Amino acid sequence: MLDKIKSFLGVDIKADKYALVDDEQFGRISAYKKPDKWVESTCGYCGVGCGLVIGVKNGKAVYTKGNPKHPVNIGTLCPKGLSEHEILASSNRILSPKIRKGKKLVDATWDEAYLLTSNKFKEIKERHGAKAVGVISTGQLLTEEFYTLGKFVQLGLGSNNYDGNTTLCMSSAVMGYKQSFGSDGPPGCYEDFEYADVIFLIGANIADNHPILKLHIAKNKKNPKIVVIDPRRTKTAQMADIYVPLKPRSDLALLNSLAYIILEQGWENVDYIKANTNGFKEYKKHIQNYPPQDVANITGIDVKVLYELARIYAGAPAAMIAWTMGVNQSALGTDTVSAINNLAILTGNIGKKGASPFSITGQCNAMGTRESGFTSGIPGYRNFASEQDRDEYASLVGVDSSIIPDERGYKYNEIIEAIERGEIKALWVVATNPLVSFVNQNRLRKALKKLDLLVVQDAFMSETAEVADVIFSAATWGEKEGSYTNSERRVNRAKKAVDTPADTKSDFDVIVDFSEYFSDTKETLFNNWRKPEDAFNEWKKVSEGRLCDYSSITYEKIEESGGVQWGGTRLYTEDATFKTSDGRANFICADWIPLTNGSVKEFPLILNTGRTVEQWHTRTKTKSIDILNNVAPEAWIEINPVDAQALEVKSGDRLNISSERGMVEKVIVKVTQTVAPKTIFVPFHFSSELINTLTPSLFCPKSGEPNYKQTAVQLHSKKVPVGIEYEEQMSAGSIELNEVEISEVKTSLRVKEDV
Amino acid sequence: MSTPLEQFIDYKVQTGMQCGNYDIDLPKLKDGEQYRFHFDATKCIGCKCCEVACNEQNNNPADIKWRRVGEVESGVFPEVSQLFNSMGCNHCVDATCLQGCPTESYIKIDNGIVIHDDESCIGCQYCTWNCPYQVPVFHPERHIVTKCHMCYERIERDQTPACVQACPSGAIEIESVNISDWLEGKIDDEGNAPLTADARITNSTTRYTLPKNIEKDLKSADEHILKPEHAHWPLVFMTVFTQASLGGFIALVIGELLGIFGFNLQSPSWEMALAVWIPIAIGLPLSALHLGRPLKALSAMKNIKNSWLSREALALGLFATFSLAIVIFLFFDVNPYIRVMVEIPTMMVGTYGIYSQAMIYRIKARPSWDRLINVKKFFGVAYIGVLLLAVAALKFDLVASSSSIITLALLVAVIQGFFYLEDINSFNQVENSYKLYKKHFTIHALFRKITFILGALVAPMLASTLIAANEVSIASTVLIFAVGVALLSELIDRYLFYVTVVPLGMPGGFFIGKARD
Repeated sequence: MLDKIKSFLGVDIKADKYALVDDEQFGRISAYKKPDKWVESTCGYCGVGCGLVIGVKNGKAVYTKGNPKHPVNIGTLCPKGLSEHEILASSNRILSPKIRKGKKLVDATWDEAYLLTSNKFKEIKERHGAKAVGVISTGQLLTEEFYTLGKFVQLGLGSNNYDGNTTLCMSSAVMGYKQSFGSDGPPGCYEDFEYADVIFLIGANIADNHPILKLHIAKNKKNPKIVVIDPRRTKTAQMADIYVPLKPRSDLALLNSLAYIILEQGWENVDYIKANTNGFKEYKKHIQNYPPQDVANITGIDVKVLYELARIYAGAPAAMIAWTMGVNQSALGTDTVSAINNLAILTGNIGKKGASPFSITGQCNAMGTRESGFTSGIPGYRNFASEQDRDEYASLVGVDSSIIPDERGYKYNEIIEAIERGEIKALWVVATNPLVSFVNQNRLRKALKKLDLLVVQDAFMSETAEVADVIFSAATWGEKEGSYTNSERRVNRAKKAVDTPADTKSDFDVIVDFSEYFSDTKETLFNNWRKPEDAFNEWKKVSEGRLCDYSSITYEKIEESGGVQWGGTRLYTEDATFKTSDGRANFICADWIPLTNGSVKEFPLILNTGRTVEQWHTRTKTKSIDILNNVAPEAWIEINPVDAQALEVKSGDRLNISSERGMVEKVIVKVTQTVAPKTIFVPFHFSSELINTLTPSLFCPKSGEPNYKQTAVQLHSKKVPVGIEYEEQMSAGSIELNEVEISEVKTSLRVKEDV
Repeated sequence: MSTPLEQFIDYKVQTGMQCGNYDIDLPKLKDGEQYRFHFDATKCIGCKCCEVACNEQNNNPADIKWRRVGEVESGVFPEVSQLFNSMGCNHCVDATCLQGCPTESYIKIDNGIVIHDDESCIGCQYCTWNCPYQVPVFHPERHIVTKCHMCYERIERDQTPACVQACPSGAIEIESVNISDWLEGKIDDEGNAPLTADARITNSTTRYTLPKNIEKDLKSADEHILKPEHAHWPLVFMTVFTQASLGGFIALVIGELLGIFGFNLQSPSWEMALAVWIPIAIGLPLSALHLGRPLKALSAMKNIKNSWLSREALALGLFATFSLAIVIFLFFDVNPYIRVMVEIPTMMVGTYGIYSQAMIYRIKARPSWDRLINVKKFFGVAYIGVLLLAVAALKFDLVASSSSIITLALLVAVIQGFFYLEDINSFNQVENSYKLYKKHFTIHALFRKITFILGALVAPMLASTLIAANEVSIASTVLIFAVGVALLSELIDRYLFYVTVVPLGMPGGFFIGKARD
């Protein structure tokens, strides 16, 4: 009572709580949060891989500050990184293993959780075979943990029906690199942003998703020409000299027509092609199907702009193309990646300063799992199908080569389909949240109900964890040791700053301890493994001599030098060093196929999904961080004023969005010119407005990546519940028929004045 | 291969960018110079690193934002421009926060940074009204106002302010500016940002680099958010009550004077003086409830030189004290000449008090307040005090006087009626406020209208007629009713005054708006 009165009278202005104090390392900082120690680590959000320092006070993380000595971010961090210390004390943490008892998940001991799960796995294996256990993991774990988990699933559980959520974001890049260069592995690096004369950003909204990369562009002294290719006028487009507003999913046609023009004009790099490539003849012939006049109809981009783009790209001393989900998350994702690679090898824009086809990864350790994870290949970029690779791996780790699978198991979407068919009976989900992130949510939710057992291993109570039968309560970033590898192949250290809370343990420990429940699995696979570094050491041995060679990397070396890039600064710097059998890169004849999008009459708009800088993926980590949430507390729908007028809505109103698969209700309207008429944008982070209810079960056949970015939808406002009326459009010209169409979409061409 | 530290030093030398570095090399200030922010809108990508870094630096909770990022859009797809404005404090040459602060809690230190002294702040929030950018923000947990101080403690130690350090685009920098050069003209070219208050209002120092050819059809991302402002209930009551007291008091003094000059008027009774004193006796202490730190209310009188708020506090404080003295004089039947000698200066101080009170709201940052008619209306509330005086006269058997007092009250009420009409006409010109009013407050306005006609005009006239008909007790009831209804009417009007103000500021964000409640 007295305190209440005192507080009301404003006796105490909490001066101490808001005072500043000197810190040896960072100068004046908040006295209230002054750490006892700073621990150098790496950010656990996206694939940029920023070096940071975690401030720890009384065993709690209180600060995350950009490490000024780290070459990736040179002291800066994005808003998520700056507030990352808050995730550890999130109210959304899972603090103990849980087992479902009826409708409730109740706390359990590790032994109970392990025993129940292992018994069920064994029972299912007995009755339906080992492959009836599926596993979906993530890009969030540490490399040591990926290696451990992959080895345990493939060799211990004996199931190759193992995939990661990286299939939802990077698998098209992986498969595209493989088909072009013979191996996965992004050839370029961030330094290329500093040296490029031309930077193409295709389907990459780095302003929202990888803001720290802007630092590297800002460092570029050449005043590079920036081209942003995206159907949506993103924040990133704001930094463009040329913004190319192509029609949704017409990127592959555009890329092919650039090649057409380059070849037509003789701008290709003949010497490079001769020395480094295969399949040029076929490619040249194939590309004749993409004359700019036709592609202008497909893409909505004027012929003269196409010529300008080709000239800029081919004419630059060093040109780089960076891309992310706009390219990858497409039914043509793999081939679109290869079309980008084609341009690079056509002009020799690879393996030199400022020139590369560069995929920017989404998750902090998507790269680590691509290299070591045992999902789409045997660790160290080895092929399941190659007996030599299998034998080599088996002998390196001392197991019988017969237990190494000789083919890749089901991809993410195939695992879900196998559950639907009743073929997979148990699913183990690790640090990912399909019930927000996967396409066609209603179908997925139904499928998960068919499972005999759903095990979720996570540090946060996700929508998926809520329906689990067993939960393994994991530790998270800042609580465990290991390494992350970023987009530019830089291996960074992630360090333990604080203890694992309550009854949680690191994912490494979760897996190794779990393996004890399977007869002699621990002895065979993890003999004498006590700490993550033991896994790292085996992984070093396994990767030795491979493209992703970690053998010379030690924890000490990483810490000393602010991360170490495997393969050096750039890949393929010497002639004919690609990972194909003859060292030459392949030209890929990739065909653009028109988007088929259900019944356009009923659903005449195209929904594009994506992210916002304030939120991370399905918000398991960010939903309890106030400073991020008050800027982006819920999903919104961006619609063009033309459509808003037709629907009689204004900014701040709400409307419903429907597709063939369902409806998302009461999404707040943002009327904006950043989207074209008949196209809308909604961020996918929010389970409250679960936009993946609408997205289709449509996947890239090569990579298995979902086609998230183009969904036919209808909008329903209060005043106009029937929605937007369909207008007959001349069909986008199909190449073979050479249909002529008059395009009304203006293009934006702004040439930067030389300062 | 150089070490990471060497690479970092190279980076600093080569790029000259202040971002990323925790240490800063600022030029030494020459005479007539100060530090300021430079914001490069062509570099900003709207990532909000600065916002979060600021809160992390200062341990501020999420809803106390010293630095805010606003968003403006223009053009037609695909020729669209999205512009961001990241704003902390503009460290103005003529800082209105500083000028208006009654407790002198703002200090423009030698290097030009405007800092805030937390200890002396009483949480009156007048600065939050005065600043045309809404930079100062009331911190409920601390009961005081807080604001961006350009991390001056860091700058003094050659350390980089948090926002500058955090920006991955190098869009925020600290630089020095020659103040007279700036004010002589550069400010008009480089000091203004889209949809943001004019830099000349306070002679803001922030320099903007904007894209060339900004389009005209600018649209703020928070355009759809038009929220009523705080009602400030303690102030609603305080202002109306003090204004009524002054009106009653003036009427009383007029009566005294007329008596002295030989008109055949009964001398006022002490009860009448008490009746007009009561409202201010309630109203003034109420105003302390508006403060974050009511115990320090008296220090509001500190800045008499510059602050209308200090002047109001002092003048109305004196008025309340001396008008109480008059009650006592009347009680002891002190000689009327001596009474008038005290009454006249008291009346003048009171008038100055209400004038100061009105001038508090004559601020450029709040256009619907910044109209002369509001000053007139503040004085127009006097009629309620006069009516109150009439009630007292009637209750305490001065029936003859009461008739003439009612006549005076009606006269003032009619004038207030004209002010009321004038107000409606000029309020309609204040675009955003009018929109807000139309959206939320038409019912209130109707109620105000009816109560005004009833309480200020019809009921007093009826009372007057009843007195003429010798129905004194009914007349008294009707008159009390009139006071009550008229008071209600003026309180609603004052409430509308507060809630319909739409401050100038900066463009905000789609969800968070301007981050100022």
